[in-house]
Amino acid sequence: MTSVPRSRYRTVIVGAGIVGLYTAYHLARAGAGPTLVVDRGFLSGGASGRNGGGVRQQWETRATIRLARESVDAYRRFGREFGFNPWFRQGGYLFLAENAAELERLRTVHDLVRSEGLPSEVLSREEVALRVEGIAPGAAVGGTFLASDGTLYPFPVVWGVYEAVRSLGVDVVFGVDALGLEVRDGTVVGVRTTADTVATECVVNAAGGWSGDFSRRCGLEVPNVATRHEIFATEALKPFLDPMVVRPSDGLYFSQTVRGELVGGVLVPHPTGTSTGMPSSARFLTVMSRALVGLIPRLAPVRVLRAWSGFYDDTPDGFAVIGEDPRVRGFVHANGFGGHGFMLAPAATRRVAQAVLREATDLDPTLFSPARFLVKAAPSVAERLQLG
Amino acid sequence: MGTSPPRRFLYRGRSTEARTGETLLAAVSHGGLPLLERSLRYHRPRAPFCGIGQCTGCLVRVNGDPTVRSCRYLPSEGDRVDSPRGWPSVRRDLFGLLDLLFPQGIDAFRSLRRPMFATPLYQRVVRRLSGYGPPPPGVPPPEPSGPLLRKAEVVVVGGGASGEAVSHWLQAHGAHPLRIDRALGPTNGVGPDVLTGTSVTFLTPPRPNQEYPFALLGFDSAGGGVCVSARSVILATGGYDASLLFGNNDRPGVMTADLALAFSPEQERSWFHRAIVVGGGDRANEVLERLGSRVAAVVAPGEIRPDVVRIASELDIPLYPRSLVLRARGRSRVRGLDLKGRGGGPRFSLAGDAVVLAHRRLPNVPLFRLAGARTVWHPATAAHYPEVDPSGRTSVPGLYAVGPVAGPGAVTPAAVGEAVTVGAGERPVVGPSPIAHEVPAPGELEGYYRELLREPRRGRWIACRCEDILLREVEAASRAGYRGGELVKRYSALGTGLCQGRYCLPDVVLVLSVLEGRPPPEVGTVTARPPVFPTTLRALSSLDTVTAEEAA
Ligand SMILES: Cc1cc2nc3c(=O)[nH]c(=O)nc-3n(C[C@H](O)[C@H](O)[C@H](O)COP(=O)(O)OP(=O)(O)OC[C@H]3O[C@@H](n4cnc5c(N)ncnc54)[C@H](O)[C@@H]3O)c2cc1C
Ligand code: FES
Repeated sequence: MTSVPRSRYRTVIVGAGIVGLYTAYHLARAGAGPTLVVDRGFLSGGASGRNGGGVRQQWETRATIRLARESVDAYRRFGREFGFNPWFRQGGYLFLAENAAELERLRTVHDLVRSEGLPSEVLSREEVALRVEGIAPGAAVGGTFLASDGTLYPFPVVWGVYEAVRSLGVDVVFGVDALGLEVRDGTVVGVRTTADTVATECVVNAAGGWSGDFSRRCGLEVPNVATRHEIFATEALKPFLDPMVVRPSDGLYFSQTVRGELVGGVLVPHPTGTSTGMPSSARFLTVMSRALVGLIPRLAPVRVLRAWSGFYDDTPDGFAVIGEDPRVRGFVHANGFGGHGFMLAPAATRRVAQAVLREATDLDPTLFSPARFLVKAAPSVAERLQLG
Repeated sequence: MGTSPPRRFLYRGRSTEARTGETLLAAVSHGGLPLLERSLRYHRPRAPFCGIGQCTGCLVRVNGDPTVRSCRYLPSEGDRVDSPRGWPSVRRDLFGLLDLLFPQGIDAFRSLRRPMFATPLYQRVVRRLSGYGPPPPGVPPPEPSGPLLRKAEVVVVGGGASGEAVSHWLQAHGAHPLRIDRALGPTNGVGPDVLTGTSVTFLTPPRPNQEYPFALLGFDSAGGGVCVSARSVILATGGYDASLLFGNNDRPGVMTADLALAFSPEQERSWFHRAIVVGGGDRANEVLERLGSRVAAVVAPGEIRPDVVRIASELDIPLYPRSLVLRARGRSRVRGLDLKGRGGGPRFSLAGDAVVLAHRRLPNVPLFRLAGARTVWHPATAAHYPEVDPSGRTSVPGLYAVGPVAGPGAVTPAAVGEAVTVGAGERPVVGPSPIAHEVPAPGELEGYYRELLREPRRGRWIACRCEDILLREVEAASRAGYRGGELVKRYSALGTGLCQGRYCLPDVVLVLSVLEGRPPPEVGTVTARPPVFPTTLRALSSLDTVTAEEAA
């Protein structure tokens, strides 16, 4: 039976995915007192070990663009800082428009990204064809492109942060399920786990796709919804594709890793919630293959090696949930990252750590705070470019 | 059949012939064991290893497609065949220097981090070196003939002895099973109810409220998509010969019994004349019976069974039971083995021009896992088998197992046939299994590895052939605190190659069990991921209309 090294911690983080571990990293660097990370699975068993490794700064809102931009800087420095090479390759992100209306929509994103000082470009049909070798004629009327976006390998990032927090004295325990909060007078005093009840004044919900489950275990209603997304990898080919390619109309995205595999997915809806586990479907394999071959016909003979799936942790407005829950003092959210938690983690978790330490953050509370869901109003702003 | 003219194709620029039904591998290996490949990271010379279309030892480029398994490909007139890797040639590959330059291996996750400005350069170089070949140029030929769609009451996957037996039983009792087999040629009678050359790559869990709850996706020998809907499915997917860990265990000439039995006897110039057979049970017996005159010695990790001893002594073949295999000798071809008696026995060497691995058969279970069937660990064979009752029923209603894949217990074709036709609830008829099963002592192979890991190492110990991952990388992961199969797989990239871990994970799980000091099933199974065989985008994409109904 796994046990927890101490009986009291300053902070307990639920979930040892990239969000939980990076939060622990910022806390430890800030000298925030004893920190425990508990996870019921194994390292990289959640979405942090199942994603496509895309890192982009093209977003629909300034808030997300700024977080993404800060994270890109962090990933560029990652190898030096953490001793693991994430193979962060800045081959760009190319959004494809299938028709003029779609291109118009992308152009507004482009204008916003440019106004933030990032050199995004609008590509003509011909320029798209130069960057996506072998694209079917007529498959796209144009697109937008930002060269400093890119892809990385999630695993070395997870290993790097994991080893860093451990050497900074953070306890990370696997095989321990967090069952709920101990609350006295509206304030967190501990967390119940399958190992022990651990005394603490702060619990961070960084449970990824299971964060809604955990909040509900704590008796708190939250709008987080787990949605299952599938992804596959092909055999390794010699390099022929530099950018990550995204087609917002059907959610197709794919890139070629440094190792040479094509990795990507497409939107295939599944029933929501975590109870289904993480199987793969025949529907995804076939729809994804059709989408890819339709776009680049010469890929038809390329073989698919393996498919897998993972959970997005979706929120109604597409923004993450960062900050203390107004209903329970000491319960901090670090979840709702949808399909982009990996690329935002370095910057977003800096704010989570600030919230844990009760420091002011520069985040717009109307976009990120958990309190936004407690007022009965339709969200005015939303981040909709979710896939890829 | 058999009278059509041979097909002429270009092999490394030279005109070559394949007789009807002859695979590409057979056609190019009349001069002996061919050297077709260089390994992915260290460019080590590689030759065919598995013979069943799983490993990366016989990959060739055919008409620009860089990863064709020559052991399963029937050449067409005018094909252009060459080796995608190795420069200037596979035989003399300059990149082979990597093998000498990095005796400790390359740690992809910790190296090439500095200086930051050099990152793009490193990435360009590493990208160029990786990958099997460029994607096929130009627009590919149109889809072969559209997807093949079938509906069947009962599907039998696997056309080996047990699959055939259960099919015949069903036919004799008025049922019409659809038989699917991966083998290329017509095996045992071709008819409307047989799909040969068809690989099932995905078996869905039963879809609720559907008349035909199972969907099997696959591809046929022309590369077209196949989808079969079925009411019940019998998997007779059999087993395969496992790999073994020792120094330079990837040397050309080291091969599984599957390969030795399937290919060697037919060659005009045999691939070997003095093979060292590893194993002391059923499979070793089979190898001796078929290839006896070309066997130089039998070595076994454990005991050698009396029947094997009998054949060997008739043929005057020396036996070395309870031996640790330490290292393969030879550079571009195996020339012998270094061994050591177990329990502190002496070191010794044997000469031979091939090493035939016949020590352990493993069941083909991925389809069971994908369909959601529970599996159980059998300590004696050190493998997971589907959980079955005596009638071959798995934990998934409508899914059955028969033959070696059903485990060392006795599941007879008749019992399965009856269970399928009579349906659930009826009492099954249980009889002796017609298939012999090898049952070594429990934990035997774990004990073997416990002893072996204490020996000093020489040569490269390849834990994962497909991705060129070394045993020391597995040990490093374990030392760094990454415990369990799933984690070590992710940490080392082991098991992510073309064979999807078939030839590396079973042995690495045993090694991890020794390193972590807990039983193999606790080290964990690695989740099965579809497709079971690498499947072309073309085949899969042709099936998307079919799976649309699944979504509805
Ligand atoms: C298919 C797919 C593709 C994606 N592609 C991208 C991409 O290209 N770019 C990008 O930035 N993002 C991508 N994402 C999203 C990204 O992976 C996630 O947003 C990110 O990994 C979330 O990290 P996390 O730490 O919050 O969650 P996770 O990594 O899921 O970690 C949560 C952890 O919490 C543990 N846990 C849950 N409940 C409990 C409990 N009660 N007690 C103890 N432990 C618990 C789980 O075991 C798990 O380890 C993708 C996601 C998927 C599924
Ligand atoms: S040996 Fe094929 S994936 Fe490891």
